[in-house]
Amino acid sequence: MSHGSHTETHGPTYLWLAAVPLTLFLLLAWGLARYDLPWRGEVSWIPSLGVSLAFRIDGLSAQMLALITGIGTWIFVYASGYLAHEPRRGQLFAILILFMLAMIGAVTADNLVVLFLFWELTSITSFLLVGFNHEQASARAAARQALLITMGGGLALLGGLVLLGQMAGSWTLSGIVAAGPALVDDPRLPYALPLVLLGAFTKSAQFPFHFWLPNAMSAPTPVSAYLHSATMVKLGIYLMARLDPAFNDLLFWEVMLIGTGTVTAVWAAVLALRERDLKRILARSTVSALGTLTLLIGLPSPGAGLAVVAFLFAHALYKAPLFMVAGNIDHATGTRNIDHLMGLRRAMPLTAAAAVLAGLSMAGLPLSFGFVAKDAISIAKSEAEVLLLVSYATVFVNAIAVAVAGVAAIRVFWGPPESPRGQVHEVSWRMFVPPLAIVLLGIEFDFFPALADPLLLAAARTISPELGAVDLSAAYDLNVLLSATGMTAVVGLLFFLTWDRLHHALHRLHWLDRFGPAALYESLLNALTRIAAWQTRLLQHGRLSGYMRLTFLALLAMGAYIWLHTDSRVVLQWNWSTHAWAWIVACLLIVTGAGAALLLRDRLGVLMASGLVGYGSAVLFLFAGAPDLAFTQFAVETVLVVVAASVLPRYGRAVSRREPWRWVNGVLAVAAGAGTFLLLAHLQGLPVNTELADGFGRMSLPEAHGHNVVNVIIVDFRALDTLGEIVVVAFSLLAALPLLGGIRKGRTS
Amino acid sequence: MPRSALLTQAARPLYWLMLAAAVWILLRGHNAPGGGFIGGLVAVAGSSLLAITLGPAVARRLQPLAPLPLAMSGVGLALLAGLAGVATGMPFLTHVWTDMGLSTVMLFDVGVFLAVWGALTGYVFALLDNGRQTP
Repeated sequence: MSHGSHTETHGPTYLWLAAVPLTLFLLLAWGLARYDLPWRGEVSWIPSLGVSLAFRIDGLSAQMLALITGIGTWIFVYASGYLAHEPRRGQLFAILILFMLAMIGAVTADNLVVLFLFWELTSITSFLLVGFNHEQASARAAARQALLITMGGGLALLGGLVLLGQMAGSWTLSGIVAAGPALVDDPRLPYALPLVLLGAFTKSAQFPFHFWLPNAMSAPTPVSAYLHSATMVKLGIYLMARLDPAFNDLLFWEVMLIGTGTVTAVWAAVLALRERDLKRILARSTVSALGTLTLLIGLPSPGAGLAVVAFLFAHALYKAPLFMVAGNIDHATGTRNIDHLMGLRRAMPLTAAAAVLAGLSMAGLPLSFGFVAKDAISIAKSEAEVLLLVSYATVFVNAIAVAVAGVAAIRVFWGPPESPRGQVHEVSWRMFVPPLAIVLLGIEFDFFPALADPLLLAAARTISPELGAVDLSAAYDLNVLLSATGMTAVVGLLFFLTWDRLHHALHRLHWLDRFGPAALYESLLNALTRIAAWQTRLLQHGRLSGYMRLTFLALLAMGAYIWLHTDSRVVLQWNWSTHAWAWIVACLLIVTGAGAALLLRDRLGVLMASGLVGYGSAVLFLFAGAPDLAFTQFAVETVLVVVAASVLPRYGRAVSRREPWRWVNGVLAVAAGAGTFLLLAHLQGLPVNTELADGFGRMSLPEAHGHNVVNVIIVDFRALDTLGEIVVVAFSLLAALPLLGGIRKGRTS
Repeated sequence: MPRSALLTQAARPLYWLMLAAAVWILLRGHNAPGGGFIGGLVAVAGSSLLAITLGPAVARRLQPLAPLPLAMSGVGLALLAGLAGVATGMPFLTHVWTDMGLSTVMLFDVGVFLAVWGALTGYVFALLDNGRQTP
């Protein structure tokens, strides 16, 4: 990002692209007003594997869709302003659109395979977006970390989904939820659930995978606001919420979710205090909020579903604007370090207004949708009678959230201005309107909850089907307000006022970093490259004789295994068939060639001799009923010898005979030859299944109109294999040309 | 390397002869030994002969396309042959036959031929280029 320069680079701003999510949002709203949920759609895709493009939109999906498209609209507006100086913005917008479609697919997919595909697509697009500033090593490392962790979790998720699908006998999410109670006694459940949870936890940055999310802040701010606060990181939450009705009664489920959620929420809140970068502070508090959401899903009470959807909604409505505020500050001042930011409200009044309103919601103070969410959460907890420890933990987490809101909304905007007036000024309308709009939407929902109520209730009922009719706005209770909100506000205020002192106290604990999961990730990654280097040195040493030794040893070992584990009646007999003379000629050619290669000292002579061996084998093929193979062998052998002969003389004519291991090689070669002979004889005595060959032979003419079975197999029966082969052949040239060109350049310079 | 005058004179006619043989091998492949792979290899042998005697530049000039585009057009042709089946509502790579005995099988085999010819001559020319520039 270029700061300070106010000349916009030429080219389109892509503001019109905001019409894409806007259109989708309006479509969704129109559909919700007109048709009852759930909506279904299905298109057959791979019928032989039971995979169909099955989509199902119920309350929870609709809520996620509203967030993806609604917040997405404002993100696109914001990005068109934020990226005005970025020459590669077209690329970023393209990936953003792709991400949005992947997200839409993931939250509407009903088929497990389809869900997994879109899930992974969000990981890939996230990787591209985090690593967008790829000239920076830190951005590359962060992108790789995000990819490895979310994709590793994705693999676990795939395993879990396959198990769940097998257990339920249904490859749809709705089928699994419907089969829920019946699955509890299945012996595969103890494997399936941890795998699924691993996928959800990595995606939603739960402890101990929480560290990738703050690092992902190297992405441009619109991306952080969209992917890493409002949408993608909620995907894990979404999946857990969707599966919750099936496994809610399970102790394992409850303990894992409440335990992991609580630890994540508390630990991320503590880590937020250690940061000075405004964006990273917000990222830590996002992780904390994701922990709270996980904890809420784990609660067994019917009110929990309502709390989850309300908090999910509220968090997106205040965190995305706060990220935009951080981006605006970065854009205007060139820093995000809270030590250097003060009194910005005079220079950036509209951004300040958005920050204060979003901060109110984050702190859960009245007049904001965050207040409604906090209310729903305390109701859910009082219903569920959670452990006292969890209760204290949530008070602590909420207090830190209040403090973070204070830092982002008050600390950087109030107080005396740091820099002289006139240097810093308000950003363009495309950057302050989006946060204000989203925040005002949140406040509107507080005054007119009827606007959001139906959607949130429908979403909550997918998590807690037993939930009755509730009016979110009617939940105001003076006692709740005083006990929960009042207390967290007071404690939060204390945290806010002592922020710097707490920060310095925690900063002294930096030795802890050496033992955290992030350090473990680093050392695992380093170990991986070390092992790769070690095994490459061991196996890919570049000495041909070494490769041959290994190949022959492997051949002997395999042969010995087959010899010992199969029962064969070997009858060796000499059959004076009509082609006997041809066999003799072939054997003579091969033996002569091999002998000459062994004795000759001239490099060209050795090459010709080895070519003789190839010709001998071709003669064998010719009379053993494989004329095509013989044909190919002749052609390959000729080309090889001719090309090698034209290149070889550069390396000198004489072959060195003083090679180490010469006698070992000789013994090994004889052993491999004898072993192969014995093995072939042995295989002759084994029954051969000729069904496939017979089938191809029978079908060749009637089905494929060809007399040459070999060719028919290549171009028709197994045409896909052939296509793959020629793609490999052609693309290997693509890879080799730069290398060969590189050799040339290295020589001439 | 000293050049043989005989070989230099014979290279061009031999090249065209080998190319003709290659095409003949390609076309007879469906019913007799032959096909795209082998035909492609024979063509590679012809191009190599030309490249070794008269230089890669001459051999390149006598190919319809540069090696890499040639190989890629072969892959494209094979893909296209596969898509013809899709267009008629059948699975990918189901071959379509006309009444005259022509079919997408041939298109596919020509694709294989071009892919082999292009890719391997690409290697040969690049290796020869490297060899030529060393003293």
